[in-house]
Amino acid sequence: MGFKIVPRYGKSLKDKLYLPALFGGMKTTMSHFLKNLSDTSNIKTECYPEMQPTDITSRYRGVHRLTHRDDDSVRCVACFMCATACPAECIFIEATQREDNVDEKMPKKFSIDLLECVFCGGCVEACPCDAIRMDTGIFTFVAQKREDFVLNKEQLLANKEGN
Amino acid sequence: MNAILVTVVIVNIILALLFSLGAVPILVWVERRVAGFIQDRLGPNRCNIAGFRLGGLVQSFADMFKLVFKEDFRAGDIKEKFIFRISPVIVFVSAFLSFMVMPFADNLVIGDQTFLMQGLPIDFGILWFLALAGLSVYGIMLGGWSSSNKYSLLGSVRAGAQVISYEASMTLALISLLITYGSVHLVDIVNFQSGLIFGFIPAWGIVMQPLAAIIFITTAFAEANRTPFDIAEGESEIVGGYHTEYSAMKFGLFFVGEYIAMSASSAFIVTLFFGGYNIPWVGTQMLKEHFDIVMIAILIILPILSYKFRGWILKNNVWPKADDKRNNESKWLIRVLIMMNIVIILLFGYFLLFGVASTATNIAVALIQIATFAVKLLLMNFVFVWVRWTLPRFRYDQLQELGWKVLLPLSIANIFITALVVVIGA
Repeated sequence: MGFKIVPRYGKSLKDKLYLPALFGGMKTTMSHFLKNLSDTSNIKTECYPEMQPTDITSRYRGVHRLTHRDDDSVRCVACFMCATACPAECIFIEATQREDNVDEKMPKKFSIDLLECVFCGGCVEACPCDAIRMDTGIFTFVAQKREDFVLNKEQLLANKEGN
Repeated sequence: MNAILVTVVIVNIILALLFSLGAVPILVWVERRVAGFIQDRLGPNRCNIAGFRLGGLVQSFADMFKLVFKEDFRAGDIKEKFIFRISPVIVFVSAFLSFMVMPFADNLVIGDQTFLMQGLPIDFGILWFLALAGLSVYGIMLGGWSSSNKYSLLGSVRAGAQVISYEASMTLALISLLITYGSVHLVDIVNFQSGLIFGFIPAWGIVMQPLAAIIFITTAFAEANRTPFDIAEGESEIVGGYHTEYSAMKFGLFFVGEYIAMSASSAFIVTLFFGGYNIPWVGTQMLKEHFDIVMIAILIILPILSYKFRGWILKNNVWPKADDKRNNESKWLIRVLIMMNIVIILLFGYFLLFGVASTATNIAVALIQIATFAVKLLLMNFVFVWVRWTLPRFRYDQLQELGWKVLLPLSIANIFITALVVVIGA
């Protein structure tokens, strides 16, 4: 066990005068001001609606999408794994028989309430056939009415992979 | 009463209005933009009228309009309605009137008449300023008390205690200045500062009385309720302080009053310590005698500065979206800049070619001095803003300690030293 002596500041004459520290601080702020005034591109602020963010990675959990098979049909088999895993209970699936012999089941309705969703990514983890993903890169979803925030199967299928 | 007298008086009053009331939107804008730049942010830059942003200045007017049209709410618990209503007016009027004695230029001579270039042509400016600057705290105290809100009351108590402890040092620092200058007339004080000491240093107050300057500037910050001494507002501790219960234009008057008080303090500091309307090394008499040299100097410097400013506009005044109407602004700003240059060059060229009457010289010298005063005032206001965004707020006990234990003994010691120097020197 050793001792560490923590030096006490504020006892020297320079510290007690207070003005040197004050001018030091003012020098720092002035350097920032002059740097930004001479060239405003030094400021990292993005003027949002005009400038979109460029640092959204492929792992960013955005709005969901339903993936397609090679023949462009829906990949989902309506196994209800995502709806079971969902902590916010925002996924509503209605299953139906698949008639084209590709698979046995498919969703008749598949809707996600984005106002309920907590964007945890649990549905993506739970899906056994990679049918739901959150890689659209859409970080804002705007609508006029509450009902418009419930995305149906067609809207989810229409979402494209972002980035 | 003759026409010239009336004109000069009206011009003076308009100038005083411009420097105090007209400066408020500019000061609010400066405050927000400088704060943004100091903290590596942008500050308000979006608001525009037909694409004209003026660097974000339009935002100040928009905010003012918002305050005017907001609902003027008053809690039913407030019993002293008259005092509640009158206190923002007291703050505003006293800050506004204290600006009126600042000299913008040396005495103007037209024909055989001499005019004081002040809003209020009186020769006891310092006393007037002290009286009215001390009055504004009554508005804060009455407003906080009549709000029937604990936070407001705390804010007003703090404001009262602060003014008592800082006004003393402020006045004592002024006394040492008065010993040096030997006059309470602000024009005399400024003319005293137009001289030189040792032949090359301008005899500004800050050179003659550095300690008094530091004390006075510190107490002026406290007087204007600006950070680091804005414990009367103290929004991190007591919500909004004295103006918690105020809304709409009543709050707006407090707000405007604070900025006018800041501008008045800056003007007073400039007048007392930074040579007022004097250009360093160039006195009024020299300006009048060598006016053609001054005009040639302006003719050379102005286009160079304008060209640099044009480059700055082209580089920095861009809106990220290509086809936005805000992008047309730079073009028009540069056109206005070129027009101003042409007008000034034509005017001075005419003067240079055909000579100037002595009255015209006097007026032009006054204009140059007004411009100098305006630049100095803006720089001093910038210092106020700069300090606000550098220093954190003092704790209440630290503030009282600084006031009573440091500034007061220092200012008294300064009086003795000044008096000794004056007596021995005489």
